[in-house]
Amino acid sequence: MSEEMEKETEEPRIGVYICHCGLNIAATVDVEEVAEYAKTLPNVVISRHYVFMCSEPGQDLIREDIKKYNLNRVVVASCSPSMHEPTFRSVLESAGLNKYLLEMANIREHCSWIHDDKKAATEKAKDLVRMAVAKARLLEPLEEKEFSVKPSVLIVGGGVSGMRAALELSQYGFDIYLIDKSPTLGGKAALVGYVDSTRGSEIVGKMVKLIKSNPKIHVFTNSELVEFSGFPGNFKVKIRVNPRYVDEKCNLCGECEKVCPVEVANEYNFGLNKRKAIFLPFKESYPPYYVIDDKVCTKCGECVKVCNYNAINLDQQPSTLELDVGALIVAIGYDPYEPSRGEYGYGLSDNVITLFQLERLLDPDGPTNGELIINGKEPKSIAFIFCVGSRNTGPNAKPYCSRMCCTSSLNSAIKIKDKYPDVDIYILYKDIMTYGNDERLYEEAGKRFIKFVKFEEPPDVILDKEKLFVDVYEYTIQEYLRIPVDLVVLAVGMVPRHDMDELTAVIRASCSGDGFLKELHLKLAPVDSSTKGVFLAGAATGPKNIIESIKMGSAAASKAMSLLSKGKVTAEPTIAHVNEDLCSGCGICVSVCPYDAISIKVVDGDRLANVEEALCMGCGSCATACPSGAMQHLGFKDIQIKSQISALFGGGV
Amino acid sequence: MSQENFEPKIVVFACNWCAYSAADLAGTSRMHYPPNVRIIRVMCSGRVDPQFVLDAFSQGADGVLVAGCHPPADCHYIDGNYKAFRRLMLLERLLESMGIEKERFRLEWISASEAEKWVKVIKEMVETLKKLGPLKPKLEVTK
Amino acid sequence: MMEKPKVAWYWCASCGGCEESFVDLAEKLLDVFDAVDIVFCPVAMDFKKEDIEKMPDGSITVALINGGIRLKEHEEMVKLLRRKSKIVIAYGACSSWGGIPGLANLYDIDEVISRKYLEVPSIENPNKTLPSHITKVKIPDLPNEVEIELTKVLPRLLPLDRVIEVDYYIPGCPPTPDVFWNALQAILSGKLPPKGTVLGASQKSLCDECPLNETKPEKILLKDLKRPHEVIPKPDECLLAQGLLCLGPVTRGGCGALCVKANMPCTGCFGPLDNIIDYGGKALSYIASILDYSPMEEDKLKEVYDKIPDWVGLVYKYYLPASKFGGKVNIKKSKAFKEVVEYD
Repeated sequence: MSEEMEKETEEPRIGVYICHCGLNIAATVDVEEVAEYAKTLPNVVISRHYVFMCSEPGQDLIREDIKKYNLNRVVVASCSPSMHEPTFRSVLESAGLNKYLLEMANIREHCSWIHDDKKAATEKAKDLVRMAVAKARLLEPLEEKEFSVKPSVLIVGGGVSGMRAALELSQYGFDIYLIDKSPTLGGKAALVGYVDSTRGSEIVGKMVKLIKSNPKIHVFTNSELVEFSGFPGNFKVKIRVNPRYVDEKCNLCGECEKVCPVEVANEYNFGLNKRKAIFLPFKESYPPYYVIDDKVCTKCGECVKVCNYNAINLDQQPSTLELDVGALIVAIGYDPYEPSRGEYGYGLSDNVITLFQLERLLDPDGPTNGELIINGKEPKSIAFIFCVGSRNTGPNAKPYCSRMCCTSSLNSAIKIKDKYPDVDIYILYKDIMTYGNDERLYEEAGKRFIKFVKFEEPPDVILDKEKLFVDVYEYTIQEYLRIPVDLVVLAVGMVPRHDMDELTAVIRASCSGDGFLKELHLKLAPVDSSTKGVFLAGAATGPKNIIESIKMGSAAASKAMSLLSKGKVTAEPTIAHVNEDLCSGCGICVSVCPYDAISIKVVDGDRLANVEEALCMGCGSCATACPSGAMQHLGFKDIQIKSQISALFGGGV
Repeated sequence: MSQENFEPKIVVFACNWCAYSAADLAGTSRMHYPPNVRIIRVMCSGRVDPQFVLDAFSQGADGVLVAGCHPPADCHYIDGNYKAFRRLMLLERLLESMGIEKERFRLEWISASEAEKWVKVIKEMVETLKKLGPLKPKLEVTK
Repeated sequence: MMEKPKVAWYWCASCGGCEESFVDLAEKLLDVFDAVDIVFCPVAMDFKKEDIEKMPDGSITVALINGGIRLKEHEEMVKLLRRKSKIVIAYGACSSWGGIPGLANLYDIDEVISRKYLEVPSIENPNKTLPSHITKVKIPDLPNEVEIELTKVLPRLLPLDRVIEVDYYIPGCPPTPDVFWNALQAILSGKLPPKGTVLGASQKSLCDECPLNETKPEKILLKDLKRPHEVIPKPDECLLAQGLLCLGPVTRGGCGALCVKANMPCTGCFGPLDNIIDYGGKALSYIASILDYSPMEEDKLKEVYDKIPDWVGLVYKYYLPASKFGGKVNIKKSKAFKEVVEYD
């Protein structure tokens, strides 16, 4: 048995230190009386009072006493542990004592600073010291466990936030695995969105260029995360790389596309036009070659016949990539709200489109080369309807505001007005949420005589043969209006991805009530997920614009970096611990742990709870739930807490 | 026993991240309140076992307060406070069936910045308990 | 020939079930009779109190006492047996923790007496006759009247260890023959475990030996609670996971999960495990833990809790006198039946 351990399994020998904190404590609490009183408590070997326990001489007092009196427990009655618990823990450690053998009594914030009555304050201080001594008797040495980390990160989602995270992390020499479910990097920003006057696709283009040339970033498109296990610093992931059937020999000639017999709605133009089964997602897709959508491909082989570069292999199989990574960043993005058929006439008329479709039409690389033409005609009057699918405006609408739609809509409206000055534009709005500097868009729109129509009740879109009307009760002038228009644009918001459940089942991250990924703590851990070592970025956590997504990608990268930078991870030892002699494997603890840190293992036919130490955050919920007392919260065990209660009422230990 | 001199003893289970910090803030702000409470620090209100509350009352606590983080989203450990809520709501029924006046036990949500609420709750409890009187004499002495 | 260990068997406020469990040993009973010398057993043999009083102190090897301490006579007898015995064992739930009769502690004793002798629908007592402590009786052939003394009722039912020092406990209502046999082996072997140990049963909760334990889903999160009469449970699925309030997780194992095997949820008759502070408090803790409601759904949770009309009866069925409060506090005591009750 080591000398240290020997010390700690003996009878408790407690040193008690009452701090004056100058006059902060001593002016109200009779510190000498408390120190004298502490001497009378069982197992207290030495009891002192000193002017500033946290000062060097104060700390030395403790160090010397530990050696001189062979102390194996220390009680410091002073300020709040939130101030100096780490300080005094270090003192114990420097004196060769396990740093978890310290207990503090808060006789400042909870006593001297809040009471006038000196007698009552002194009595209270004695009670608090007695309680701390009782707990100290039962403290046990705890070891911080260290785990080495894998210097690599898996980023799920190749949109702007995922790419930003990848670029940040690659600077530190980590291997970055950047995967995307779709056949290309870029996400939604490659198709829609602006940052001031810069197109999203330009930003995507710049990021892709940097990623292409970075040997540390390994890109896997058409790939999905299918298995995830392990603990922070040491995750095991399995990625399914779906076949794209076309390889790097492709030189984008487009001959295959011409002969492909299958046509489906083009999701990269949000359904505005069609694409073939073999297609290139958009002009600057990365990897820069075609892909076959095997959900619709008939394997007729026509494309193979015309490919002069032998780039097509219809027999390609999915492959599996198994990796060990240190951290995971989830940046899977969002889906645009899809109005249901008939909602504001959507789906019943080609002249009712969404904001996303509009942006594609206005994009010079879009299906109409940037010309606002629908069914061969240029609309002369356009009505934007705001808050479609957001802010509870409809039966399927989400309750939240989607942040970016007001700004994007006004941005597009201004572009239209600049290109087509004779077009009448009506903005039908509930509120205008162009926040921050985007407020200028509201002014700019006004300058261009874009008309603003405020509603409380959502407007109606009336289809009358070829004509389109928007009926609305205008709130400011308090009148019903019927506006004849050629085009209705629905400013739809952002909703969680339709396949969110597939991912959350794999990584066990939790979602909030509205279906987006939930950060661990709004204030204290805004880019952590509830699973330790898994970080969140971008619109997967809720509606964001491009810049906000990029920033969050950066933040998630920093968090991942801080996890991996030291090469090892230490776990706080005040975690849950199973006494296997008492555990019946009833599984109540498993049901209760918010971090999924507990599982049931079977050993020699016995079912036993098993705590994954690296995942346990030390809340103690499982210990409270454990019906047999087998699960205990180290540092806050039942007997330790009970001892404080008993000591308070003088019932001994 | 003279009721006029009766000073109730209140045991408080305060969670480290919210309630304990609120108590610290009350101290830093030099807010004054009666010296009747004794705080037992736990990391989360989800650590507060109904057994502890029963034990505290049976040993002589006149009142017990459990203070944790506000639902739905403040709990440092995600939903420890949800469990505390469910357990202690059930315990309240038991306490009532056992003849303990319901004013003696309180579950409060107090965030780290709510020092005023901390002080208010304690002052209220002390007042109420002074009127109710001590619990110990009403416990049956079984030995 | 070495003397056989002397065994005393006494019953206090007992239903007789513990006595029947003794008989349930079946053929093993013969081994017991071979191995020990029964010196006191009121249920079956005509020993008197004087017989015990005459014995030297500590001459009884082991006294097995079942039933809760309800009467003054019980108190006196167990104190006597304690003096006369080396080892005293609390046999069964009633002597260990008070048992089901312990639920009387939820009332003032006067309410109990009044209910029992005067108010209960099945009693016919127009003269409001109550037990009297001393009754004078004229017996033929005896010159003077004889006084018959009836013991008095104690105001609270107590577990055995609140009255005398108890060495070991055998749990169960009643203990199963296996548990009793295991405990007996331990005692007669001479290799006695530390004082205070619960003998014959498991160190783990019932789930450990329950065949339905492995059928539990990964997480149990209930939206509803069911009482046994509301549902016919699926026989091959954990009863707790089906919403029934099975107290198996919080109850000591060793009974072979007899009730669960008969499709009924465990009611907790083997009592708490060793480190538990209060059985009822712990039961409430785990039950509430697995209900899937947030504080924002307070009304819905209240509805679920309202479904169980008697939580005290549920979680303290066998344990109330041993609980932290021992019974209801703040009771108004009327002290109206001085003839019947030995008030404090």
